[in-house]
Amino acid sequence: MIDLSVEIAGIKLKNPVMVASGTFGFGKEYASLFNLSKLGALVTKGLTLHPRPGNPPPRIWETPAGLLNAVGLQNPGVDFFLSEILPAMKSFEVPIIANIAGFTIEEYTQLASRLTVPGITGLEVNISCPNVKAGGMALGAVPELAAEVVEAVVKATSLPVIVKLTPNVTDIVALATAVTQAGAHSLSLINTLLGMAVDVNSRRPALGNITGGLSGPAVRPVAVRAVWQVSQAVDVPIIGMGGICTSNDALEFILAGASAVAVGSAHFRDPLAAVKIIEELEQYCIENGIRDWKQIIGAAWKGQN
Amino acid sequence: MEEPLKDHHCPVLDQVMISPGYYLLSLTAPQIARAAVPGQFVLIRCGTRYDPFLRRPLSIHQVKRERGEISLLYQARGTGTRWLAGRGKGDLVSLLGPLGRGFTYSGREKRGLLVGAGVGVAPLLFLAGELAALEWKLVILIGARTKAGILRVESFQRYGFVKTITGDGSTERQGTILSLLEEETKETDWEGIYACGPRAVLKGVQKISRETGVPAQISLEERMACGVGACLGCVCEGTAGEVLRYLRVCREGPVFDAGEVILHD
Repeated sequence: MIDLSVEIAGIKLKNPVMVASGTFGFGKEYASLFNLSKLGALVTKGLTLHPRPGNPPPRIWETPAGLLNAVGLQNPGVDFFLSEILPAMKSFEVPIIANIAGFTIEEYTQLASRLTVPGITGLEVNISCPNVKAGGMALGAVPELAAEVVEAVVKATSLPVIVKLTPNVTDIVALATAVTQAGAHSLSLINTLLGMAVDVNSRRPALGNITGGLSGPAVRPVAVRAVWQVSQAVDVPIIGMGGICTSNDALEFILAGASAVAVGSAHFRDPLAAVKIIEELEQYCIENGIRDWKQIIGAAWKGQN
Repeated sequence: MEEPLKDHHCPVLDQVMISPGYYLLSLTAPQIARAAVPGQFVLIRCGTRYDPFLRRPLSIHQVKRERGEISLLYQARGTGTRWLAGRGKGDLVSLLGPLGRGFTYSGREKRGLLVGAGVGVAPLLFLAGELAALEWKLVILIGARTKAGILRVESFQRYGFVKTITGDGSTERQGTILSLLEEETKETDWEGIYACGPRAVLKGVQKISRETGVPAQISLEERMACGVGACLGCVCEGTAGEVLRYLRVCREGPVFDAGEVILHD
């Protein structure tokens, strides 16, 4: 039995493979497909203070080796989540990280404090959603504003605070440095890339929201680059994500500097993707005689120095 | 007992192009055959690499429970379905399902009106077989632009009276399937209309259902990612209200009561 455990910002994970926010709902649907306790952690769909119907359809559009989505943070709101959804999630026996999305700093702090309850292991602060007009990426693309949000959230909760960053910036290192100085305990890299498609049959934008977020293997090199740059610039652990479909993809992120990874869009292709990656990582450690897999975190740049 | 949802690796039994561009794919899928109800679908992986990335939702066309077989009827029109059209006997394909909410019906010896436009007949053959087993009297309306799009007439004739119509008049009648439906709904008392096809046809079905008072169920198609209700990608607009405005086609659907959804062009 290989020990794949790792600690991220005080959160003990039995393995470094989490499921990414937005692709996995609140776990219920996938619980009929596999035992969710196999996962390192489950990150919830983005939660807002008030229920949100989300964007008009079409919300997804397939692209080469990926997809655009513009769901627009459809969710039942934090109160409904706490009273109706979270209690049932306890049976999954997996650390639950609540993804929070505010439209003002005040909303972020309210979300953080309301979600500081037993059953929630950590918060992922979503300051990177490209599919809403306020909050989200609008706050998260400016280092000073992002830092303000993070500082307020850290004050409002006793839980570990993970900050999910957008790649839609010129200098992701500046952003990462700002939110880390503001107290972030960990960083999730990356949210989707802002994109767009035109339907040549209708001659109109393909998505109801016009623009959407690109995910899938197409974005992986962008994500790996972000992890490589940021992990060398900050001291907090990085959760790498962006198009991870196989254990090799996961290893690429780990070698670039990620202490954990999250699997998202890959579930659309293979609903068991995360579980298979965990099994393959165990196999990789056995085959390569790795006793403590954490030795290889950042090996791609540590080996250079 | 409800079967757990699974990704099934199913061998192809047979694949035939039944009309230019339209394929009938038979698979060995005993668990899906056992669990499926008419109107449900499978998500089928089309390709071994990352392009196309998403699975394709296809209605279950026919089920042979005792033989553990299902068939799918589809039109090859993009990279995914064209890949699928290239599979032959013995090839394995990956199917997640059965998924979604199917048609609802109850009682014996009722009168049912099935409306299938083009490849929209796909979920209706399974339904027709189940209803015929309950001794329903069925009239099955099949429409398409041209004769090449009129599919599976002989199979439907086993279960009811089939009427076809084409835009170019290359079958018995020229016109739209909605004109046929209007005629039919004038004449008899129907237990229900069960329809699948392009959005414009389904909008017409909604209107006729509203005007005649005959309840209708419509099967919707939408671009899908997860297929299990987690990603909220495949929604359509519901009539229920503000917060619950969007319904998941993969979960609350793909079959909806006609009055449950608002269809946009």
